[in-house]
Amino acid sequence: MSAATLLGVSFWLAQTMFSTLRPITPAPLLPLMGPQAQLATGYLLAGTLVFATGLVNSIMLIWWERKLLGRFMDRRGAMHVGYAGLLQNFADGLKLFRKQPLRPREADKLGYLLSPTAYLATSLAIVGFLPVSTGWVPGVAPLSLLMALALFSFAPFFIFVGAWSSNNKYSLIGGMRTAAQLVAYEVPLLFAIVSVVLLAGTFDLTGIVNAQIHDGWFALPLALGLIIFFVAMLAEVERIPFDLPEAEAELVEGWNTEYGGMLFAMTTLGDYVRALVGSYLVVLLFLGGWWMPAGPYTAAINGFPLAGILWFQVKVYIVFAVFVWVRASLPRVRTDQLLQIGWKRMIPLSLANVFLAAAFVAEGWPPFPKLL
Amino acid sequence: MSEMWINMGPQHPMTHGLWNLRVKVDGELVIDAVPEMGYLHRGIEKICEYRRYNEVVTLMDRCCYVAGLAWEQLYLMASEQALGVEVPERAEYIRVMCQELQRLASHLMWYAAFVMDVGLMAPFGYGMRDRDIILDLFQSFTGARMTYEYMRVGGVRNDLPVGFTDRCRKVMGWLEQRVNDYEDLCDRSDIFLKRCIDVGVLKAKDCIRDGITGPMLRAAGVARDLRRDRPYSVYPELDFQVAVHDAADVYGRYRVRMEEMRQSLRIVRQCLDWLDHKPGRVIAEKVPRFVGTPSPPPGMESYIVRRGYPKGVGFSAMEEPHGEALAYVVNEGGEQPYRVKFRSPVMVNISAARDYLVGYRVSDIPAIMGSVDICVGESDR
Repeated sequence: MSAATLLGVSFWLAQTMFSTLRPITPAPLLPLMGPQAQLATGYLLAGTLVFATGLVNSIMLIWWERKLLGRFMDRRGAMHVGYAGLLQNFADGLKLFRKQPLRPREADKLGYLLSPTAYLATSLAIVGFLPVSTGWVPGVAPLSLLMALALFSFAPFFIFVGAWSSNNKYSLIGGMRTAAQLVAYEVPLLFAIVSVVLLAGTFDLTGIVNAQIHDGWFALPLALGLIIFFVAMLAEVERIPFDLPEAEAELVEGWNTEYGGMLFAMTTLGDYVRALVGSYLVVLLFLGGWWMPAGPYTAAINGFPLAGILWFQVKVYIVFAVFVWVRASLPRVRTDQLLQIGWKRMIPLSLANVFLAAAFVAEGWPPFPKLL
Repeated sequence: MSEMWINMGPQHPMTHGLWNLRVKVDGELVIDAVPEMGYLHRGIEKICEYRRYNEVVTLMDRCCYVAGLAWEQLYLMASEQALGVEVPERAEYIRVMCQELQRLASHLMWYAAFVMDVGLMAPFGYGMRDRDIILDLFQSFTGARMTYEYMRVGGVRNDLPVGFTDRCRKVMGWLEQRVNDYEDLCDRSDIFLKRCIDVGVLKAKDCIRDGITGPMLRAAGVARDLRRDRPYSVYPELDFQVAVHDAADVYGRYRVRMEEMRQSLRIVRQCLDWLDHKPGRVIAEKVPRFVGTPSPPPGMESYIVRRGYPKGVGFSAMEEPHGEALAYVVNEGGEQPYRVKFRSPVMVNISAARDYLVGYRVSDIPAIMGSVDICVGESDR
């Protein structure tokens, strides 16, 4: 609950500062600068806020995962720093920040230093395009879903560059696995999204949620799509059972074996930002976003300005809990098995799902005036 | 894709200890493997020659850090034969109970490490938790959790505390339930089966050629268990079955170990029933006094009356949790053993790594090596 409050506050801050990614320069400063300077300052502030919200959220996600995984393993997880270990990850981050940066002598300097930065930056940029409630989105664009996915698919490139330039065999194998895996699972992921777009009729994420508010969760007609999307997302964010790129049993730490200190913190944070984005997308595309079930309490809740965001965050954390649950209970698949599942099972299934969605649209969706 | 050598170790999550597995890979395919051992060599066999018989027991705990009591008994069976000491029956039963509890603890730790290698997170915690319960039992009568120093030439140090048998029975009851649960956790997971079946196959013929023993051999369909085939201690009086599986792969080894845990529970229960009703000595009445007395301080050697002690050699073979361990102790009449030599099953099992790794994938290496159950402490000694 405290985590949810923290997240709510961070998003409230974000919303008061900007509801679109337009310049948000503080008013007293406006007369002092020209239009370009206003624009630049505005984007800088907006970027900083996206950075802060994305980072705080993913750090809390790490805490949530540590607690849940601890419970699954019959232990308690982090519990000593802060209330219930809430500050443990900040302490860990501080420790990593203070570490001496070490770079392998034979590593390619540019690729080695740049790729974690780019990995984290592109992952965080996605957060800027994901609405958390009506109007609570920095990047309003009619094609925000496409934009988010385009940014999402940058990662394998940076991972591969980082893996190759660290000049380590484990990194290289991990990087190659990442490239193979992410390319294979991007296809079913996109097909699952196509089915949603067919039903919603828009690429705008806010529009997709509004369509669900009107027609009911897309998880109901597109249950198959939800499963495909979830599994593909597991592979895209490299979590068990598809965490082969960093399978610690055989590849030590996979593609980021040679990264230490703050660079390691950045790669790990990048992973969790992507997991956060994955959970966001599952909620936005299939689980109705910030839409609350109607009831006698609706009016009271709606009076509270953060109600939609809180509701959204609760869903996101539940979805991420399923990620953790899967991680606790499934073994890791093998590379060849992973690719087989991807190409032979997921893609035909996702095509069938697209046909299903097309059939729904052709027959008229929704089949009844209003679902819930 | 070009071929390359990878050093998996000496520091690597897969090794479970300190050794190096050099693998030659072609992309993801393993085409050669060379295990390199010896990073943990402490010269224990040589140190034994400078210790009294009872002082060596301390080293045996350090030999295998997951099955210390097994190695204590292995060494003591050989040295008792060399010294001509008879062990009271009650001590034998306590020792056998220790053996089987140790096997349970070792297999539970193996389970935890193995599922972690395959990628299962949660059962790792369960395996370690239950091993801890057994360590609690050990602590209640030896005072230690890992380095017990409990057995002595001619028996054991002390009898079991009051109420131990009831407590132990309770734990056995829990474990019986939990072993079934753990088997369900793995057997009902399709991914686990995919990772384990037909991986790391080593047929019976190859096992015998390489000298592989223990669960790996039994998983290849060879029903060989020294507890039954070359009985020692009081095993002939106990009722148990030898766990065998025909698969000869990682899955077979997993099933054999799970079944062995059940059999160990059976044996412990029988021992407890016996111990409940037959009080008695736990250490032989006649033990050569020098085995336990500390070595004389420098300059005081002339005060020690040296007699011609009886000479002899001792040999023991036992089914340790990892396989067949052998010990040979030569008593040349001195107060310390003249020579001590061990045969570690893990050493042999790892040395054959090329035979069961080549042809599989890099992702299979942790699963296969995990199924071997490695304890580097005893292989390097």
